[in-house]
Amino acid sequence: MSDTAENYNYKVVQQFSIMTIVWGVVGMLVGVFIAAQMAWPQLNFDIEWLSFGRLRPLHTNAVIFAFGGCALFATSYYVVQRTCGVRLAFGRLAAFTFWGWQAVIVLAAVTLPLGITSSKEYAELEWPIDILIAAVWVAYAVVFFGTIAVRREKHIYVANWFFGAFIIAIAMLHIVNSAAIPVSMTKSYSAFAGVQDAMVQWWYGHNAVGFFLTAGFLGIMYYFIPKQAQRPVYSYRLSVVHFWALVFTYIWAGPHHLHYTALPDWAQSLGMVFSLILLAPSWGGMINGIMTLSGAWEKLRTDPILKFLIVSVSFYGMSTFEGPMMSIKTVNSLSHYTDWTIGHVHSGALGWVGFISMGAMYYLIPRLFNREIYSVKLIETHFWIATIGIVLYITSMWISGVMQGLMWRAVNDDGTLTYSFVESVQAMHPYYVIRFLGGLLYLGGMLIMAYNVFRTIYGPAPAERTVPASA
Amino acid sequence: MLLKHVWGILSEPRTTWARIRDEGWTIPDLYLRVVVPLALISPIAGFIGTTQFGWQIGAGAPIKLTVSSAAQISIVYFGAILVTLFVIGALIYWMSDTYGSSQPLSQCVAIAAYAAVPLFLVGIFQIYPVLWINFLIGLPALAYAVYMLYLGVPIVMNISAERGFLFSSAVLAVGLVALVGLLASTVVLWSYGLGPSFTN
Repeated sequence: MSDTAENYNYKVVQQFSIMTIVWGVVGMLVGVFIAAQMAWPQLNFDIEWLSFGRLRPLHTNAVIFAFGGCALFATSYYVVQRTCGVRLAFGRLAAFTFWGWQAVIVLAAVTLPLGITSSKEYAELEWPIDILIAAVWVAYAVVFFGTIAVRREKHIYVANWFFGAFIIAIAMLHIVNSAAIPVSMTKSYSAFAGVQDAMVQWWYGHNAVGFFLTAGFLGIMYYFIPKQAQRPVYSYRLSVVHFWALVFTYIWAGPHHLHYTALPDWAQSLGMVFSLILLAPSWGGMINGIMTLSGAWEKLRTDPILKFLIVSVSFYGMSTFEGPMMSIKTVNSLSHYTDWTIGHVHSGALGWVGFISMGAMYYLIPRLFNREIYSVKLIETHFWIATIGIVLYITSMWISGVMQGLMWRAVNDDGTLTYSFVESVQAMHPYYVIRFLGGLLYLGGMLIMAYNVFRTIYGPAPAERTVPASA
Repeated sequence: MLLKHVWGILSEPRTTWARIRDEGWTIPDLYLRVVVPLALISPIAGFIGTTQFGWQIGAGAPIKLTVSSAAQISIVYFGAILVTLFVIGALIYWMSDTYGSSQPLSQCVAIAAYAAVPLFLVGIFQIYPVLWINFLIGLPALAYAVYMLYLGVPIVMNISAERGFLFSSAVLAVGLVALVGLLASTVVLWSYGLGPSFTN
C-alpha cells in the first residue's frame, strides 16, 4: 500500500474514521453512565469528578466534538478529495489537524472532570485549549479550501458547500464566543458581560447545532446517500436553494434559547420567527434526501446502510419540525428547562447525527481499508437495536418533560405551588430508568459496530488504489 | 357488522389485510362501523380513570379531575382521534402516487384505522391513569401497530414489498410529525386556559 502523491490521502481519513468509532463508544458510555446517575443518584459515589455536573460536559463534548467532529473531519477529507479529483492539499497540515484534534479531546477529558470549565455550554473548555482548537480549525480550513483551490473538477459539488460553510461558521463562532480575559492558566472570564454574554453564548450554541451538527452532516448526506443509493441527488437545484436559505436563517435563531429571560423581548420574538422560518430550508434538505433514497427502493430492504441513512433523514425531518414548535414562546414556557428539550436534542443527536455518521462509516471503512465488511448481518442488528433505543429515549423524555412542565406550573387556588420540586424529581424516576435502557441499547449498537469494524480492518489484506487520470 | 375485521386483523393480519383491500369501503361506513366504536374506548376509559380513580404523585392524596373538566377533555380527545386518523389516511393517499399506487382515499384511511387497532384496544388501560404504566403497556402496542403498518401497506396499496417498506417508513415519519404537532398544539391550547381543572 503506497501513500504517494499520486494517491488520495486515505491515511488521515482512516485515522479520523477509527477515532470516530473509539470516541463514539467512549462518549456514549459516559452518556449512559450519567443517565444511570439521573435514575440512581448514588452512582456518583461521592467522588467530585464522577458527579453529574462534571461528567455531563464531558459527555456532550465527547459525542459532539470527538465523535461528531472526527466523523466530520473523516468524511469532509474523503469527500473533498474524491469530488475534486485531487490528493488532499498540505499533507503535514492535515496530519496536524488529526493530532491537534485528538490532543484537544484528551485535554477536555482531563480538565472537565477536574472541574476546570468556562461554564459556557458546549464551549466549556478553558482558554489554552480554545487557542489550540482555533489553531487546528484554521489548519482544517487551509487544508479543505486548499484542496478545493487545486481541484481538477471545475464544479464544486454541493456537499463541499455544506462542509465549507460549516468550517467557516464554526471558526467565526468559536473565536467570538471564546473571547475571554485569562486570570490564570485554568481560569478566564468572558469578554462579554451580562445579557450580551448570554446572547453571544446562544448565538454560538444554537449555531453549533446549526452548522456543526446540521450543515456539516448535510454535507455527509449529500455525498453518501447518492453514493450508497447509486442515484443522483433528487434535485440539485433544491440542494443549492436550501443551502443558502439554511445558512442565512440559522444564524438568527439563537435567542429562542433565552425566551423569558433578561434578553429584550423583540430579540426573543425575532429568534422565534427565524426558528419558524427555518422549517422550510430544513425540510428542503430532508425531502431531497428522502427522494434520492426513494429511487433506490428495490435495494432498501436488503441494504442496512441505506436503512441507517433513511431513518437518519426521517429523524432530521422530525426534529427540525419539533425545534420550531418548541421555539414558539407559549410552548417554550412549558418545555424549557424540562426533559422535553433533552429528548429533542437526542432525537437529533442519536437519530440524525448518529445514524448518518454510522451509515457513512459503514460505507467508508471497507473502502478505506480495501476490505469487505466483516458482517452485514451485524449492521442490521446494530440498526434495530439502536432504533429501539432511540424510540425508548425520545418517548420517555417527551412524557417526563411534559410532566415536569405541568407540575412546575401547577398552582393551587390560593396561589401556592401544587408540587415541590422534589416531588417532580420523584415522578421522573420510571422515565429515567427507561431512558437509561434506551441509551444502553444505543451504546450496545455502537459496541457491535466497533466489533464489526475491528474484524473488517483485520480481515484479508488490501490491494493498491490510485487516483484516476482526469477526464 | 360492527367492528368488522378487528379480531381478524389481530389473529391473521395477512389474510385480513387482503380482505380489507378486496372488499372496498366507503368512509362513513368505515367510521361508523369500525373507527367510532374503537375510538370511544380510550376517552371513556380515561374519563372514568381520571374522575374515579385518579393518580398519585409521591405520597400525596390521589389527584382527580372534575367531572365537567374530564368530560370536556374526553370529547376533545375523541374528536382529535377521529380527525388525526383521517389526516393520516389523507396523507397516505397524497403520497400514494409517489410510491406507484392508485387506491382510493377510503382504503388509505382503512390502513390508518386498522394499523392503529392495537393502540385503540390498550386504551382501556387508561382506566388506571398512572402515566408510566400506561407508557409501558403502550410501547408493545405501538410496536405491534408499526408491524401491522409495514405488513398492511404493500398488501392494501397493491405494491411490491420493497416499495411498501419505503412507503410505510414515510407514513411512520408523517405519524411522528403529527404526534409532535399534536403535542405542541395541546400545550398552546392549555396555556390559553383550556387545561383541566382538578378536584380539591
